[in-house]
Amino acid sequence: MDVFKKKNSCHSSANGSTGAARKVALVGNPNVGKSVLFNALTGAYVTVSNYPGTSVEVSRGSATIDGGEYEIIDTPGMYSLLPITEEERVAREILLNESPDVVLHVLDARNLERMLTMTLQLIDAQLPVILVVNIMDEAERMGLSIDLELLREKLGIPVIGAATAKKRGLDEIRRAIASYRKGSHAVFGYSRRLEADIDSVASLIRGEYPLAKKSLALLLLQRDEEVTALVEQREGEGFPQIRERVKEKSFERRESFHLDLSMERKGIVKGLLDGVFNLPDKRVVTASERLSRLAVRPATGVPLLLVVLYFGLYKFVGDFGAGTLVDFLEGKLFEEMFNPWISGVVKGVVPWVAIQELFVGEYGVLTLGLRYAVGIILPIVATFFLFFSILEDSGYFPRLALLVDRIFKKIGLTGRAVIPMVLGFGCDTMATMVTRTLETVRERVLATLLLALAIPCSAQLGVILSLLSRAPGALLVWSLCLLLIFLVVGFAAARLVPGETPMFYMELPPMRLPQLSNVFTKTYTRMQWYFMEILPLFILASVLLWIGKLTNFFETAVETMSPAMAAIGLPKEVAVAFIFGFFRRDYGAAGLYDLQTNGLLDPRQLTVAAVTLTLFIPCVAQFLVMKKERGWRVAIMIGLFVSLLAFASGWLLNQFLLVTGIL
Amino acid sequence: MICGFCGYEFDESEGKRGCGGCPGGCHAVHCPRCNYKNPPEAAVIKKLKRIFHKGEKR
Repeated sequence: MDVFKKKNSCHSSANGSTGAARKVALVGNPNVGKSVLFNALTGAYVTVSNYPGTSVEVSRGSATIDGGEYEIIDTPGMYSLLPITEEERVAREILLNESPDVVLHVLDARNLERMLTMTLQLIDAQLPVILVVNIMDEAERMGLSIDLELLREKLGIPVIGAATAKKRGLDEIRRAIASYRKGSHAVFGYSRRLEADIDSVASLIRGEYPLAKKSLALLLLQRDEEVTALVEQREGEGFPQIRERVKEKSFERRESFHLDLSMERKGIVKGLLDGVFNLPDKRVVTASERLSRLAVRPATGVPLLLVVLYFGLYKFVGDFGAGTLVDFLEGKLFEEMFNPWISGVVKGVVPWVAIQELFVGEYGVLTLGLRYAVGIILPIVATFFLFFSILEDSGYFPRLALLVDRIFKKIGLTGRAVIPMVLGFGCDTMATMVTRTLETVRERVLATLLLALAIPCSAQLGVILSLLSRAPGALLVWSLCLLLIFLVVGFAAARLVPGETPMFYMELPPMRLPQLSNVFTKTYTRMQWYFMEILPLFILASVLLWIGKLTNFFETAVETMSPAMAAIGLPKEVAVAFIFGFFRRDYGAAGLYDLQTNGLLDPRQLTVAAVTLTLFIPCVAQFLVMKKERGWRVAIMIGLFVSLLAFASGWLLNQFLLVTGIL
Repeated sequence: MICGFCGYEFDESEGKRGCGGCPGGCHAVHCPRCNYKNPPEAAVIKKLKRIFHKGEKR
C-alpha cells in the first residue's frame, strides 16, 4: 500500500531512531496520563515533530532501562484499532509501520470497563501488549478495587497498576518493559456466527502483516479503507476473492455488524471483569466530587459563585489589580514619571507641535495609548486572567454553565439560542458565528441581535467589572442592571427562538486543584494575545483621535454627541470614552476610569456611563462578523438598534437614580 | 491540548480554524467540541517545555 510504504520510509528519517534501540509505543484513550508516563520514562532528549504527511504531533524520546536502549513513542489518543480521527489514524500507523517491541496500553482505572475493549483489540491483533492500569490512586479514593493479579491471569499479559502522576508503578513498568518476552496470551472467543465470518475471511489471507489475520479480517469486515488497501497490495491476485467474501459477509450483516461486534466485545469485557473489578457497597464520594455537586446545585452553587466573585473578582482583581497596581503603574509610574519625562524628550527632539501632539499630546500614542494599555489595562487583565485561569484549570466553568443552565430551566429559560448566548461570554465574535447553526434566518438574526446587545465577553466583562469595583455602589447597580437586561433578553430569546435546548457537552471533566504551571502558562498566553489584539487598536485609536483633533473632526464629534451625553446626565467629555468604546468596550472603560480618577464623574454618572457602554457593540471584530454572517444591511440595523437601546437604557437608569437618589 | 471548558483533548491545529472575524486572524484555539476560546500556547512556553522536557499533552 502506497500510504504505508511512503510513511514507512519517512519514519526512518523523521523519528531519529538509533536502529539498535527497542521501540516502546504508548497507546490509549486521551486523558489517561500517557504523556506523564512518557515524561517519566524518557530522558532529556525528546523530539516533538509532526507525523509525516499530517499535522499531528508525535513525541519521541530515549530511555535506558535495565542497561538496554529504548525509543519511547507517545502516540496520539485512540479509542479503537478502527480509526475515525486523524490522531487515531496516526496512532494506528505507528503500531502498523514501526512494529514496536512493546506496546504499553495505558488506561484509566476508573473507566476500566469502557477502555478494556481496546486491550482486547490489541491482544486480538497479537501485538506485544503490557497493560498499565493508571490513575489507581483516584480509583482507590473512590472505593473501587481491582484485582490486577486476576486480570493478568485472564488476559495472559503483564498488567501493572500505576498512578504515574504520583510516580507510583514506574519501576514495575520499567521492569515489565525490560523483561518482556512475547509469549502466550488469552484468546477471546466471539459468537459462533461471528467466528465463522472472521474465519471465512482470515483463511483467504496469505501474506505477512504486522497484525494477526483475525484482527485484519475484523477490520476488513468493518470496511477499514486503509487496511483494505494494504491487503489488496499484499495479496495481489488473491485479493478479488477476499473482496468478494468481505462484500458477501458485509451484505449479510449489513444492518448490525458494528453493533454486534461492539456488543460481543462488551460481553467479553464484562466476563473478564467478573471478580476483577469491585464496586464498593457504598460509593465513596471524594472531596472534589462533593465540591462539584455543591457547585452545580442552585441552592449552594449561587452562594458559592458569589463567594468566588467576591474574593476573586472584587477583592483580588478589583481591589488589588484595579486599585493598588493601577495606582502604582498609572498614577506613579506614568503620570508622575514617564509622561513628564517622555513629553520633555519628544518636545526637545520634535520641533513641530502637531507631531508632538501625536506622541505626547492629550490623546498621544505614548501619553494616552501606552498609558491606558500598560498603566490601566495591563494590571487589570493580568490579575483578571490569573483569576480566570485558576477557575478554568480547576474545572469550575463547565459547572458554572450547568448551574446557569439549571437556573435557566427553573425559570423557564430554554431554547436553541441559549447555546450561542452562553458561548458569548467566552467570545461574542465566535458565538455570532455559531448562530448559523440555528434553523431559520429569523432565529439567526434574533440571536445575533441578543448577543450584540447583552452579552459582554469575559475579558471585557472582567475589565469593566474591575474598573467599577472601586466604586462598590456603582458595581452593585451595574451588576443588577446587567442581570435584569440579561434576563429580559433571555426571556425574549426563549420566546422568539423556542425549542429544546441542545446539549453542548458530553461529560464534566473532574474538578481538581489548579496546577501552578498551567495557571501561569495560560495567564501569560492570554495576556500576550490580549495585548497583541488591543495594542494596535489603542495605537490606531490614538492616531485617529490625533487626526480628528487636528482636523477639528474630533471636537465636532464630541460636540455632536454632547446632547446625547447630557440626556443621560453625563458631561460631554464622556463622549471621548464612547468613541474609544467603538474600537473596544474595554478601551472605553479605561477612558471612563481616567475620567473618574480626574474627578469628572460621580458614582451615578460612572454607573450610567458603564451600563450604556456595556450595552454597546462589543468590538469591531464582532461587527465585522455580523456583517459577514448577516450582511451589511442587517449588521448596520443591529448596530443602530443596539446603540439606541444602550442610550435608552442609560437614560432610564439615570432617571431612576436621580429619582431614588440611590447613588 | 485540553479544552479549558469541556476537557476535550484535541490537536491545536484542529482548533485553529477561527471565524475570520478578528482583524489579523484568530488568536485563539476554539475547541472543536464546544467552541470554547482556548489560548494557544505561546511559542516561548512551547520552547521552555521542550527544554524542560514537558510533554505536549497532559
